[in-house]
Amino acid sequence: MDTLARIKDLAGKEFSLDASALDPAAPLDKLGIDSLSFIEFMFKVEEEFGVSVSDEDLKGIKTLGDLERHVAGALAAAGKA
Amino acid sequence: MAERRVAVTGAGVVSPLGASLEEFHTALCEARSGIARLPAEIAGGSGVQVGARIDWQPAPFLKEAEAANLDRATQFALAAAAQAVSAAGLAATAARDRIGVYWGSGLGGANTLEASYKQVYGAGEWRLRPLTVVMAMNNAAASNVAVKHGLRGPFANFATACSSSAMALGEAMRTIQAGRADAIVAGGSEALLAAGTLAAWQALRTLAPADASDAAASCKPFDKRRSGLVLGEGAAAFVLEDYARARERGAPILALLTGYGNSCDAVHMSRPDREGQVRAMREALAESRLAPGTIGYINAHGTATSVGDVVEAEAINAVFGDAAARVPVSSTKSLHGHLLGGAGALEFAAALLPLMRGWLPPTAFLEQPDPACALRHVPLRAERADPPRAVMSNSFAFGGSNVVLVAERA
Repeated sequence: MDTLARIKDLAGKEFSLDASALDPAAPLDKLGIDSLSFIEFMFKVEEEFGVSVSDEDLKGIKTLGDLERHVAGALAAAGKA
Repeated sequence: MAERRVAVTGAGVVSPLGASLEEFHTALCEARSGIARLPAEIAGGSGVQVGARIDWQPAPFLKEAEAANLDRATQFALAAAAQAVSAAGLAATAARDRIGVYWGSGLGGANTLEASYKQVYGAGEWRLRPLTVVMAMNNAAASNVAVKHGLRGPFANFATACSSSAMALGEAMRTIQAGRADAIVAGGSEALLAAGTLAAWQALRTLAPADASDAAASCKPFDKRRSGLVLGEGAAAFVLEDYARARERGAPILALLTGYGNSCDAVHMSRPDREGQVRAMREALAESRLAPGTIGYINAHGTATSVGDVVEAEAINAVFGDAAARVPVSSTKSLHGHLLGGAGALEFAAALLPLMRGWLPPTAFLEQPDPACALRHVPLRAERADPPRAVMSNSFAFGGSNVVLVAERA
């Protein structure tokens, strides 16, 4: 499974949403994901991929697509992808 | 303006004796004990042998993902509150700015706190999940109930140990009487059967060991053989509502809440004081304008500690005088254990049993009444009785807080 599919899968489980219907370009609040829920979700994403997203980078994440780019970047930097 | 009276229009229960008011009442009628040996993974090295645990399946109340983000106590609270709101038909009513939540809890999210301490101090892993704070805080259950049902009126959370949820009911009654809310979802919850918390309780030397022949019979209030309290978990919730409004909208009226007494011993942190209890009972009776003789059942605090049961029996005798020989008294903790912050609400539900169904719930396992606890007991088995005009429920807490509630037949 590619990175985006894994993120969508995690988000589907975390927020009881249909993973396949998640639009990676949609703003998180439009998906019904508030800021507190997102921080808890980020915690699980970091565990899943074994990466760390800085507080500074976190502020720039507005969509699941943004999240995927940060995770993919962190994986590449760590030599994991 | 006539004084606003307060009706109980819905009730919900999640307890070691079942997950609805009806199941709870039936278990009390059958004197079925919810007390059992604690599994090793719960008791840890605490040495605590027995407890009243709930075999808890969050569904159908909560989705799996929701449940994972809520402390066990909050899950109990949401389930009990949902029952009460549904039974009262509150969902159909508008004006949510006039409906509030008053709740009680002793330790809030104890399981969440313990899990985080275990991770940090035990495993040396300092990366805690981001929801730890909002899951563990004492008002988490109350706030989640408000969010779930969109209740935007007066809000309060009481943490007075074993009287917390009784105080929530009493203060909710006052708030409705004062015209500051039309209805309030009031109750309490507790879930602290976790090894570290159990170890702290064990250190107090007030917990009963397992009964040698029957673990279910380990809690024996008012009995010569009593050996201490048994901790339990769960939640109970009520919809308290302005009586006139409840009548107008055709809501079911289970009972009226008419008396509330609140006092502090101001003597000692753990040793109860007769005079403090007497003041609370007298205040509740005075507010309800009932003579002691009209009370047809008392749900005692009755924790089964050597000192506590005697002090309460003396206090009841001081308040009721000659009538004490006739007023049936029982401690249902013998069956559901001590729910601490949730105890007052759950035992108010037990006190409604005589009013609603004409059964007096028993003090189970009371085979050898202690002469120092001279009361008109309901020993061993439930008794049939004409529904009394009124009942009383006592909640006396560590820290010296005393709360007494009086309810009357609808």
